[in-house]
Amino acid sequence: MSGTTTNGTTGPEPLEFDAVVVGAGPAGASAALALARAGRRVVLVERGPFPGAKNVYGGVVYGRVLDDIVPGWWDEVPVERWIVRRSTMMMTGTQSLSVDFRTDAWGSAPYNGMTTLRCHFDAWLAGKATDAGARLLTSTVATGLVRDGDGRVVGVRTDRDGAELHAPVVIACDGVNSFLAKEAGLLARAEASHHTLGVKEVLDLPPGAINERFAVQDHEGVDVEILGCTREIPGGGFLYTNADSVSIGVVVSLPELAASGVRPEALIADLKAHPSIAPLLRGASLREYAAHLIPEGGYDTMPALAADGLLIAGDAGAMTLAAGLWLEGVNFAIGSGYAAGRATDRALSRGDCSAAGLASYRADLEAQFVLADHKRLRKAPSLVLSERVQQHYPGLLCDLAEGMFTVTNPTPKPGGLKLTRTVAARHGVKLRQLAGDTLRGLRIFG
Amino acid sequence: MTTAPTTEVHPAPDGPLVVACLRIGDLRPTVDPLDGTVTRDRLGVGLSPADAAALEHALRLAEAWSGRVVAVCVGPESVEPVLRDVAALGATVMRVPLGDEGDGHRYVGELAEDEHGLARTLVAALAPFGAPDVVLCGDRSVDRGTGALPAYLAHELGAAQALGLVVLGPVTDSAGRQALLAERRLDAGWRERLNVPLPAVCSVEGAGVRLRRASLAGALAAEGEPVPVARSLAVVAAPGPGSFHAGAPQPFRPRTRVLPAPHDDDPRLRLLTLTGALVAHEPPTVVEPADAAEAADVLLAFLARHGYLDDTRVTIPERAATEDDAP
Repeated sequence: MSGTTTNGTTGPEPLEFDAVVVGAGPAGASAALALARAGRRVVLVERGPFPGAKNVYGGVVYGRVLDDIVPGWWDEVPVERWIVRRSTMMMTGTQSLSVDFRTDAWGSAPYNGMTTLRCHFDAWLAGKATDAGARLLTSTVATGLVRDGDGRVVGVRTDRDGAELHAPVVIACDGVNSFLAKEAGLLARAEASHHTLGVKEVLDLPPGAINERFAVQDHEGVDVEILGCTREIPGGGFLYTNADSVSIGVVVSLPELAASGVRPEALIADLKAHPSIAPLLRGASLREYAAHLIPEGGYDTMPALAADGLLIAGDAGAMTLAAGLWLEGVNFAIGSGYAAGRATDRALSRGDCSAAGLASYRADLEAQFVLADHKRLRKAPSLVLSERVQQHYPGLLCDLAEGMFTVTNPTPKPGGLKLTRTVAARHGVKLRQLAGDTLRGLRIFG
Repeated sequence: MTTAPTTEVHPAPDGPLVVACLRIGDLRPTVDPLDGTVTRDRLGVGLSPADAAALEHALRLAEAWSGRVVAVCVGPESVEPVLRDVAALGATVMRVPLGDEGDGHRYVGELAEDEHGLARTLVAALAPFGAPDVVLCGDRSVDRGTGALPAYLAHELGAAQALGLVVLGPVTDSAGRQALLAERRLDAGWRERLNVPLPAVCSVEGAGVRLRRASLAGALAAEGEPVPVARSLAVVAAPGPGSFHAGAPQPFRPRTRVLPAPHDDDPRLRLLTLTGALVAHEPPTVVEPADAAEAADVLLAFLARHGYLDDTRVTIPERAATEDDAP
């Protein structure tokens, strides 16, 4: 089988579909699922040997977005543990202050968040798409876009002998630093300041030890988000419980990490050695180490999401929400991917797959949480990554707590305002700045 | 090493039959450092380099002779995605289940118990395709790489055998018949060249050829297709009561692996490559209890971790961190 491809070369005859989805992560699988359910001929192209083979993820997946897509998803999703405790920890080298919340409500259906291993989760979600009729093509790299004479995207080139997959719409879900989005001109050359580097270790720990040390029962999990654990580099840390392992790591500003000369694994080593963390991990053994770029620039750094014959979704469209209190990615990928699939179906029905014909994608995202949350929290990254929040407040709050709870008899207890003023001054923070940041935080998160 | 083009074989229905007996298993199983228990993961399932080379040789021979390729694998359902990849290359595939289908971890152990039975099963499974002209195996084949399976297959088929090959190609002998020309390694860098008559059973090293990639159309055609299963053959391989081993159980000792020679011109770099020096390795779990009580704690923790004790009722000992705990 051979023919002439759109770029004029002679090669295998292209294969025709209604849509080509590149990347079988949560965004791609959701897009393919939406299209397959609409009866469209869709192919899901994955460069790894199976969906989830290439992912790096160490977080919590919030499943509310799945309620309408896969009703009763919690009965079948490959979950590690259901998160019932959420802890926010501020730390210095010798102190830590935690705000710890636990609820039984998150430990039963319909649940709130879960830890999961992406090699299982992505394969599960992609399986929903193939069950609905999508074709899954693994171990195949989309090496570039195919355009027609008018410059519209009409397919992708693959690394299988240069053969092409043709479709009126390509949905690029090829992750952070998307080469397809860059080739289409939607994504600029990667801007380091819009990205963070996440590094994590997965440590084996017996389930009984996890239950005992984190005060949970079987299938219950803990999500610990940490501030003040990345030396002078803006960022944060995390600790999540899986079934028989824990994920621990840091997410740090890329340019600041490069400027510091600090190795990211050294930051994890610091975190693991912290007196509040080390006892939780005693005896754990390293299973894997991984690192990955995260698009954390937020709403203001998002690219255009559509071009003629092309949509981008998930990390390719910078959909990760990194807003301090909320650190979410997979649910935004699923939401954007499913919306991309539905928008493509509508465009195909109208016979208009131009950027204008695909514009309902963005409107759909703005009407739901994906862009609504991003828009509302667009100023959060600048506050969370600011110098005071990163470098001064963790120590300030820890010292404040230490001052409040240290019994100083026979000296009378200090008043709260006086203590705050003293501690703030010790950390180079004026009360005016403290109040200003509090107000700013209320405006952003309130 | 030569790489074939990205094409699939288009079989001629009446051409010579080339069979690839493939070992498909977890390529990165984890081994418990304390008791040697091997844990396999279905996500790590794939073809070993030797089996990939056997398949590529099979495809090349079939192309040269306008023949057919049948790829057969004994294993659980988890091998089917890999067999689909093989089907995408134009081979006819078949899976032969053996043992408990629900326990993919046991099957390799079962295979190793009765290699002769395994060979009989494979020959029976291949019967509907006709008598094979060539059967190819990886030299670390299904029976833990003992090399016994190809010999048993040759015995069952009444075929010539040539094992541990690094070069294999079709030739025509002096009488005008199709045959094989093969090479295998000897000591001191020498090689032995063999003229192998048909039918033949050959095992090959994972060297010299690289498995081709399926075309886009082939990969899509094979995706999602059911893999034929020779279910009725399982009883053929059931080990009979006629023979068993009695004696002290011995730990499993894998055979020495042959590593490819490093390519650097600098002897020091070659030495570094061979020894793995300066390469980061995962530190082993070192158990060095200071006294009997700590040793008992370590053993209890191990038993609890592996489900021999109710770990909710056992306090996991928290031994002091050592350098070995540090990643």
